[in-house]
This record gives sequence, C-alpha cells and structure tokens, in this order.
Amino acid sequence: MRNRSIARVAAASAVALLTALPAVSQVKVDDRLPSYTPVQGVSGTIKSVGSDTLNNLMTLWAEKFKEQYPNVQVEIEGKGSSTAPPALIAGASNFGPMSRVMKSAEEDEFEKKFGYKPVGVRTSIDMLAVYVNKDNPIAKTGLSLPQVDAMFSSTRKGGSAADIANWGQAGLSGDWANKPISLYGRNSASGTYGYFKKHALFKGDYKDSVKEQPGSSSVVQGVASDLGGIGYSGLGYKTADVATVPLAKKDGGKLVPASPDSVAEYPLARFLMVYVNKKPGTDLDPLRREFLKLIFSKEGQEIVVKDGYLPVSYEIAKATLAEVGVDI
Amino acid sequence: MNDRTEGQEDNRKAAPAGDPGAGGGSWSNRRRRARNSLFAAGEPAVWLTGGALAICTAMVVGLLLLVLWQGLVTFWPQAVERVTTPDGETYMGEITRHNAYAPEESVLSSLSEQVAQQARQDLADDGQTIRRLFRTGNFRLTQNHFTWVDDFSVEKRDKPEWALVLERLEWGRFYGFPEQFVQLHPLDGQTPQALSGSLRTGLAAGHSLQLAVSAPGEPGFALHPLADLRAAAPTPDPAAADAAAGGATPEAAEPAPAPTGIDPSEVIAIAEVAEGPEAAWAAFSEHHGTVRERWQRRRSLEKHDTGKINHKQEQARLAMRSAAMDLETATENANGGTSPEIDRARTRLEEAEAEFEEVRTWANEAFADIRAEIDRINEENGRYQLVMKTAGEGTAPAQTTYARLDGIVRAYPANQLGTGGKVGIYLSRWLEFLVDEPREANSEGGVFPAIFGTVTMTLIMSIAVVPFGVLAALYLREYAKGGVVVSTVRIAVNNLAGVPSIVFGVFGLGFFCYVTGASIDQLLFAAHLPNPTFGKGGILWASLTLALLTLPVVIVATEEAVAAVPNSMREGSYACGASKWQTIQRIVLPRALPGIITGMVLAIARGAGEVAPLMLVGAVKLAPELPLDGTFPYLHPERSFMHLGFHIYDVGFQSQNSEAARPMVFTTTLLLIAIIAFLNLATVALRTRLRKRFAAGQF
Repeated sequence: MRNRSIARVAAASAVALLTALPAVSQVKVDDRLPSYTPVQGVSGTIKSVGSDTLNNLMTLWAEKFKEQYPNVQVEIEGKGSSTAPPALIAGASNFGPMSRVMKSAEEDEFEKKFGYKPVGVRTSIDMLAVYVNKDNPIAKTGLSLPQVDAMFSSTRKGGSAADIANWGQAGLSGDWANKPISLYGRNSASGTYGYFKKHALFKGDYKDSVKEQPGSSSVVQGVASDLGGIGYSGLGYKTADVATVPLAKKDGGKLVPASPDSVAEYPLARFLMVYVNKKPGTDLDPLRREFLKLIFSKEGQEIVVKDGYLPVSYEIAKATLAEVGVDI
Repeated sequence: MNDRTEGQEDNRKAAPAGDPGAGGGSWSNRRRRARNSLFAAGEPAVWLTGGALAICTAMVVGLLLLVLWQGLVTFWPQAVERVTTPDGETYMGEITRHNAYAPEESVLSSLSEQVAQQARQDLADDGQTIRRLFRTGNFRLTQNHFTWVDDFSVEKRDKPEWALVLERLEWGRFYGFPEQFVQLHPLDGQTPQALSGSLRTGLAAGHSLQLAVSAPGEPGFALHPLADLRAAAPTPDPAAADAAAGGATPEAAEPAPAPTGIDPSEVIAIAEVAEGPEAAWAAFSEHHGTVRERWQRRRSLEKHDTGKINHKQEQARLAMRSAAMDLETATENANGGTSPEIDRARTRLEEAEAEFEEVRTWANEAFADIRAEIDRINEENGRYQLVMKTAGEGTAPAQTTYARLDGIVRAYPANQLGTGGKVGIYLSRWLEFLVDEPREANSEGGVFPAIFGTVTMTLIMSIAVVPFGVLAALYLREYAKGGVVVSTVRIAVNNLAGVPSIVFGVFGLGFFCYVTGASIDQLLFAAHLPNPTFGKGGILWASLTLALLTLPVVIVATEEAVAAVPNSMREGSYACGASKWQTIQRIVLPRALPGIITGMVLAIARGAGEVAPLMLVGAVKLAPELPLDGTFPYLHPERSFMHLGFHIYDVGFQSQNSEAARPMVFTTTLLLIAIIAFLNLATVALRTRLRKRFAAGQF
C-alpha cells in the first residue's frame, strides 16, 4: 500500500520534473515553490540523527536556517538511516533523516512508545548510482539490474544463472576480461544499504566480499582508487574519478543513465525522507514547522541541487507538507 | 646489586673452564662456538635494535612530513590554466594532480579523428599518456567541480592574464573573467535624468552610466543604455533633459521615437558600470572591503543581537511552560477538588503568561528593528555586483553571471600574482581556516568551533580525571594494605587501559546520556521536553567518557610517582610528629607532582586524539554554537560540540565534494597534531617548573 503510493508520487514527481526541465541537464527548482520568509518566535535546537546520505543536505539546510534564525542551535549526526528511529523514539532528536522508508518494525517500535506513527516527509529525490572507475568501459555499455545482482549478491534473486566475478563475465573484453570485480558497499546501518538490497538485489543477500564502507563518500573514493571497483552511492557524491553506469531494469532492457533527465525511468530513484514525531491533531512547534517550510522553499530546494540531488515538484512539496499539517 | 651481577658473571666464566672436556665434546664445542659466534660479539643485536629504531623513526617522520607537506601546500594559490581542444571544448581551472595511463582502443575509437591520432602518437612514443585533473569550479552552471582533461586532446594551453578565482560563500569556487563591475545608485526620489546628470560630473575614467531596470531573476535588474530612456512624458524637466542631451554618448544625440524606449518609472537605479577586466577589477578591489565589512556587521547582528532577544523570549516561554506543568501537577494531586496549590499555580501561570506576552511584544519590536537594519545592509550590499564571464565549460559556450560582492569571500587574479600576493592569499586562507566557522557542510570555511571544542573537551576531561585518578592512586599506595583486593583493583585498572575505546563510548551513551542525562532532564528541564537537554550527547558527557578512558593512565602514573618518593622522607615526616595525611600532603604529593603531571600529559595525548567514543557521546558534524559563550549561563555543558578528529573523519569520508575536501583533511590533521603538541608542551613546561621548584628539597 505504502510502496504503491510512493511509486505513484514518484512517477508523478518525475513527470512534473521532466516537464519542468529544459533540454540541458542543468537542474532547475520548481518556480512555483515560494521563497522562504522568516517568522518570529522560532528558537530551540535542531537535533538531527540519521542518514549519512542526507548528512550534508541536513547540514546545508541547517546552515541556511541559521542564517534566518541565528539563535537556533543546530546539531547534526549522520551515521546511517537505521540510527534515526531509535533517536526519534528516545527523544534524542527532533528530525530523523532517512534515505529509505521506515520499516514496519521500526514504525511499530515508535508506535509502542507514543501511540501513533511517525510522519515521513519526502524532501528530495536521489538516484542511487552504480559507480565504477572512470576508466571502466562498462560506463558506456551499461548493466542490467540482474547483472548488478549477480555481482553483489550471493543469492542472485534477480534471476541471473551465473555469478559474475570478473569484468569479462559482465561483457567486457580485452584487458578487462580477466580483471576481478572488487565490490564496495555501505555498512548495514545505512539506508542506502537497505534500499540497494531491496531493489537491486531483489531482497537477496550481499556477498561476503563486499567491502563495507562507513560513508557514501568513502564508497566513491574506494571505487576511484580501484580500477576494477564497483560500488553504489547517492548521485550527489559523484566525483571526476568515477563514472556512473547506465542501468536497465531487465536483461536487454533499455539502458537509463543516472542523470536528472531520466529520473522517471531510472530503476533506482528514491525519495530522501525526513521523519518527525508529530502527534495527530496537534500542530508542530514553530521550530520544526519553519524548518520543514524552509526545506520546501525555493532556497531549500536550491540546496538540494547544490548537494547533487534532485528537487521535488511543487505538488509533492504541497502534499507532503500537508501530511504534517503545514501550508506551503 | 652490582656485587651480585659481577659474581654471576664470574660463575658463568668459571663453569666451562673449571670442567674442561668432562661434560662431553659436543657440549663444550657448542659453547665455544657460541662464544666465538657473531651473536656473542653483540654486533647483530646492535643492528637489530638500531634497525628497529630507524624503521620506527622513518615511519613517524615520514607520516609527519606527509601531513606537514600536504597540510601546508593546500592553501597555496595555484595558477589558472585554460585549455582548448580541437573539438571546441574549453576548460579553465587549477590543475590539482595528473596521472599517466594507457587509454584502451575502445576509448580511442570514440574520439574524433584528430584527437585519436594525437593519442595514438603519444602512446607510440611513451607507451602512456598524461591526463590532468582540472578544478573547474562553477558547479552551479556545470554540476561538476572537477574534470579530467587528456593531454593529447589539448590543442592550446594558456594562462589568461585576467583569469579570476572567486571563493564564494555558497556554491564553491568560480573561475572566470571579470567583465563588468556594476554599482547601482538608487534614485531616492530623483528622476533618472537628474541623477545621471549629477553622477556624470564625478565619474571615474573608464566608467559609464546605464539604466537599471527591474527584472526577474538573479541580480534583480537588467541594464540598458541611457539612450533607451523614453523622454520624460508631458512636461520634461529642463535640467534633466539638458543633462540627458549632454550625455556625450553618440546614441543619445539621436532623438528616440516616443513609443519605444524605457519608461522612467521602470528605472530602479542608475548603474555605474566599469567595463573591461582591468576597470572591473579595480572597482571590485575598491569596494569589496567595505561591502564585506557591512556583511560582517550583518552577521554580528544576526548572531549576537537576535540571539539575545530570542534567548530572552525562550526563557519566558519556558517559564510559562513550567508554570503550566505545575498547575497540571497540582490539579492531579487535588483529585478533581480544589486546593490552595491550584490557586497559587494558577496565579503563577497567569503571571508567567503576562510576562511572556510582554517579552514577546518587546522581542517583536526589537526583532523588527534588527530585521530592518539587516535588510538595509542587504539592500546596500546588493548594489555592488561583479559580472563574470566563464571561459566556457566543455562544449558549452561562455556564460555570463552576476556575483554579489558580499557573497565573495576572496578573489584574486591568479596569473598576475607575484610571490608577495601569493603569500598574502595563503596567509589569509590560513587565518580564515583558524578563526572562521565552517561553510557548505564543512567542506569550506574554517574550523574554529572544532578547535574550540577539542581544547575545551580536553580541559574538562583533565579537570575531571586528574583529581580522581590521583586520589585513587594515593589510596592504593598509601592507605590500602597489600592483599588480594588491592591486587585485583590494580589488575582491573590496568585492564581498563586495554578496553577498546568504542566500548567506553557505548557506556557513555548508555549511562551518561540515556540514564543520567535523561534523569536530569526529568528533574530540572521538564519544560524543555520532549526536546532533550542533557539526555543526549554533549561536551560534558564526552569529557567524562574520555576521563574514564584515561583514568588508568593517570592512576598508574601517579602510583609510580608516589612509589618513587623515598620512604626515608615519609619516616622523617612521621618522626617530626606529622600525621599520615599531613605527610602525604606536604611531603609525598609535592615530590610526586612531576610524575602526576606526566600522567596528565599522557592522558591529554590519549584523550585529544580519540574519536571513536566521541561519535557516540556528543561530537557532531555541525555545531557552531560554542560550549562557552556570552549567553547566560556562559558555560553550556549540555551542548554538542565539534571535534577536530571527528572533523577529519567527516570531511574525508562524508563530504559530497570529496576531491576538494581531501586537502582539508591534511590541513585539519596538521592542526590537530599541532594542538596536541601544544597541550603536551604546555604541561611539560609546567612539569619542568615544578621539578625545579622541588629539586632543592630532594636528597
């Protein structure tokens, strides 16, 4: 149910994005989003614990927020999406950024303490990119998700018959044919880990040989320094030393590059969520309300672009803000 | 002591000599061989130990040199190079590094004919080709910070004289050419004609006047030539008309047809434009300082003045909240009935509410004043804009953008700088790094909050750990009778030193933050809930966690120092009639002090460099509020803090623009090492002084 609605919104947002995008790949923020205007009486501490993917984004938003409300204190921790629900439940944070949707077990845990479910706000869109070294020709030829699954997974639920352990098996020739594939991934506290497992590994298991990294950026750095490396991370972490691999949903399917123009078709596009503890029937306190408003303002979504992710459309912003009882 | 060793040696020598051949040939042969062998001479041992020392020194010195070199060169301004390819691509930026590789056939075949030919030639000559990583900046236009450019694809390479590097508050660096400098002169009730007339008299050489017409988009205005101004409608102001006609521009002489041109009411300001790189740069240099000063004032207004107002307001709100909570408790206690407590609580709540209202009205007024001042500064600063033209990004043509002067931290024409200019930029970057706050998710700006957090945390840790460690060690050495219990305690303390630091972090999180802190919140800060005050990581909890971690170091060092005080001194003290505590206080402690301080040095060195447990108990990515500031109660032990060690981890592994952040890792490492060295040297200096002081008293 939840997944379907998200898919629907994702598609709608993608269409909205596509229509709003000019032909060049310069990402533009929806013009209909309002500029942020500060209000009075905002104070307190923004304490955010959660996703590492959203770590920079939260920091940048908080910096912007502090420009408007200099007295507000800001504390941001990002060790992985799985750290967000416990911190929200313990009351140790007032924002829980997550790069995946909360699992039902986590929601139940929250409900047990408070009697209601936390509300997830869809702040921006990330395309989970599969990175290879910049010299790897696979960046031109692309991979299918079952192939990615055969590289990363020991269970191969994507339907690939054989394991892919070197680049020759992935379709490369010449010097590359015998080069072993070196796998880079995230640690299990990461939402990116969970999302990739669910969507690229078809809920299968990772191989033991995946080198688990503490941060998105270290995955990219690992791949950058390893000629045979492959890894996954948010599109925002791309550097000049790595290349993104175009992905196809099925073997022989259409290859979709990880670029803002193709977010509608890209198989690994996801929402970046920020969870808040909101009791139904009550209003958010000014601090959290204004912070969320800032996220969905023109300035807030410009920051999304600055950090390498994709902004949400006006429709999504309106709908998701309505869920927490805030007018855009 | 000496006698015994000599005796032993004698015995050893005597043994084989005194029993020649009796023990069988093989044994004595072996002994003889052993005596004559290389090992017996001791040479290999010297080589072994000396070699080990050399390797250790080489590793340490090598590491330090690497950090030193990488950390020191980071801020040195580089030249800006522009390259163009036969395919019409242009890149301009600083070269950060290069590498050699052999491109594959599939790569070559995708290149254009001319480039591929050059590449094959290079490959045939050297077996490899060189590519360079350009820091091209201009992220907003290209969504790229860095680009690799192959040497074989370069047709032309130059260092443009007017390539300008802008370091901006947002969006990172910008590389381009200054094209114009625009300064807006607001109309302030005058007609455009009158204003341009009066401006023309004092106009600097190379500057011209244009009309600024309100326009949507980034700078908020568009420039039009003065001649486009529609002649003022029914009754033209004669003076203004004269002035306009006197405008020496040839276009102005031609009378414009009435319906075309720009309505004077649309004009928002007269723009003084300095055309060309030289004039634009001169105008920029003239105004940048004052604009940045205004920006600094704005930041101080935002930070200090509004902060104070909001703090007062928050205090009033909390007072109201706690009064409301008192009322709730009183009502609950009365079980639906009435009681004097309820009445009292109600009056207090009403008072608090009235007070809150009062504070709020006052705060709103004060806030509006400050806001107006900020807006004024902003508006004033917005009048100064630098128009930059890029060199072109890849195949895209050159673009023109406006840059507000107050958003530019630093700008310099990289290829014109002499050594003096470079040193100036270098030092100003270091200064910014040391005293400023971080920007752009820590990848730019300074690390002052992290420096401050590291030092404060270390000091609080020392204050916590030294007294406890010393007292514990004194009990163990002076009071406790030796036995199973004392040995067990001693073993436990020593083992504590071997526990992985992350375990302390977990303990700190569980015990200090979630148990102690949450209880403190319930008792003292109930009005703040559900926002935790002490029930989360903070500098106090981090310091205490590290104090636990370093406790064994202090205890062991103190025990050693106390044990080293000769017993004769204690006995002398007792003989004079001093009590046990008097002896400890006057005789033992002063003599043990240098040793205790050695323990402190070790504790500081261990504590300041520790990162893993801090990640759990209070070190965060961004916490610009210092734990010590001008807001009452000045010391804020509950605040999270930034730490240099964590900063290194964060910048190195978490930043989005990891290529640009990498040099910052080394700079921050250098800084952390310098701070630890400084703290250590300070304590060593203290120890030396103490030693001197008590040297006279030693036998």
